[in-house]
Amino acid sequence: MGSGHLRDRAAIAGVGYTPFSANSGVSTLTLAVDAILAALDDAGLTVGDVDALATHRVGDSTPPWVVAPALGVPEVTWYLDQFGGGSVSHSVVGQAAMAVAAGIATTVVCYRAVNARSEFRMGGTGRGPAPVFDVQYQAPYGLLAPSQQFAMYARAHMIAYGTTHEQFGHIAVNQRANAAKNDRALKREPITLDDYLASRWIAEPLRLLDCCLETDGACAVVVTSVERARHLPRPPVLISGAVWGGGDSFLSGTGTDFTVSEAARVAPRLYAMAGAGPADIDVAEIYDCFSYSVLVQLEDYGFCPKGEGGPYVASGATALGGTLPVNTHGGFLSEGYVHGLNHVAEAVSQLRGTAGDRQVPGAEVALSTAQPGYVLAGTSALILRADR
Amino acid sequence: MSAPPRPRPWPDRDSAPWWEAVRRHELLLQRCGHCGTPRFPPRAVCNRCRSRESGWVPAMGTGRVYSWIVNHHAFMPAMAAEVPFAVLMVRLDDADDLFMYGNLVAAGVADLVPGLPVEAVFADVLGDDGEGFTLVQWRPRRRTP
Ligand SMILES: [Zn+2]
Repeated sequence: MGSGHLRDRAAIAGVGYTPFSANSGVSTLTLAVDAILAALDDAGLTVGDVDALATHRVGDSTPPWVVAPALGVPEVTWYLDQFGGGSVSHSVVGQAAMAVAAGIATTVVCYRAVNARSEFRMGGTGRGPAPVFDVQYQAPYGLLAPSQQFAMYARAHMIAYGTTHEQFGHIAVNQRANAAKNDRALKREPITLDDYLASRWIAEPLRLLDCCLETDGACAVVVTSVERARHLPRPPVLISGAVWGGGDSFLSGTGTDFTVSEAARVAPRLYAMAGAGPADIDVAEIYDCFSYSVLVQLEDYGFCPKGEGGPYVASGATALGGTLPVNTHGGFLSEGYVHGLNHVAEAVSQLRGTAGDRQVPGAEVALSTAQPGYVLAGTSALILRADR
Repeated sequence: MSAPPRPRPWPDRDSAPWWEAVRRHELLLQRCGHCGTPRFPPRAVCNRCRSRESGWVPAMGTGRVYSWIVNHHAFMPAMAAEVPFAVLMVRLDDADDLFMYGNLVAAGVADLVPGLPVEAVFADVLGDDGEGFTLVQWRPRRRTP
């Protein structure tokens, strides 16, 4: 099977959100239902059209077999309950595209619903370690939270390439400027580099303003065939490339250079599937659990040479009006953190041309990516394209 | 003075012998019985040759600091009194692809530089279940080879 087999076989026909907050006051089931209904409404579809549901979770959300009957879905022909956090977020959409291309499903609602601030904080405060393989070698040293793990790799990048605190700061400042143009964003007050440098350490070299906003909320997208999407109200956004995979971790024999993320491994396959390269990307919504995650992926998806992510972000290239606007919604650092689908939904808005004050003029091709694989040894990403 | 209790490790069926050795103040590596590749963390199958034959050999007990963090936020209630503290990622001198984590002891974070030579020391600590256990920690190496 050629790598282009999945190219432009499925499309995103609708997106939906709940409000983002620090305390939703409702269950993750309610969040899921609200986001899905909003996405179906956006797509011009109803619950009666849905025949498949897909999500990912780490014991923190409500699975498809609970959500489907709660919505009144007539019959489920396929579902996906993917284990994992941010590294698999985009694989959920990719697998939905596979199900559509394979004829197993016609209308898949992909959702992520989480009370990540009021119920289950990924940052780990007050929570015991999860019993996964490598935690036993980390937790006894007080190494547990994703911010700490990413800080370890951010330091490795600083050591290898001279990356600076200020360069991380440019990412946070840029995304806040974008969030100021986004009504959904939780943090809209502009910040300066000085504000960034004055924010408190979480785990050196990462500060509070390097970290995503643990958020209550949900996001959903509707995936269907391209042919069907063309008969729906919204302009279709084609899924031109979808990739997930990886393999490196700190296990012996699988890696010696932790300044290279799993994105470097999957990027060639993604670009080949989409028939596109870095120069074709008009806008990028890049997984930003922490600022460093953006920097390393800009390198590993080929937007700048390895090691030059720091100077690249400091150059203004990633700002609105730059050569590659990044995280136009403000990202997890400023819009809110629902683990990736809000990045996909923002890419859809950009490709529809409906992103308002933060619209990238004429955006036709978007890259959106998942967590680059340091916590679970894999990543996923999409290339989306306007159907015109 | 007694340190506050630590989150204790939960050994699995592959790692239990390694943790038992650490409790005896021995730092071991697993070595493939077929191709001889050393590996860490412990697991039953070699990822180079798929052999299930393996033995335990002494590690050199030395390495170099590959990266580190200085943790300021009290993520773990059990370690809240210790912030700020360093967590090191140490590349073992035994092989380029062998890494272990640990805290810095017998030095301050200002002493940390990339590639700092370190050596393993054993720390008997109180676990958060009230039982003692032993951790591998790292201190600057006194003699460089
Ligand atoms: Zn072997």
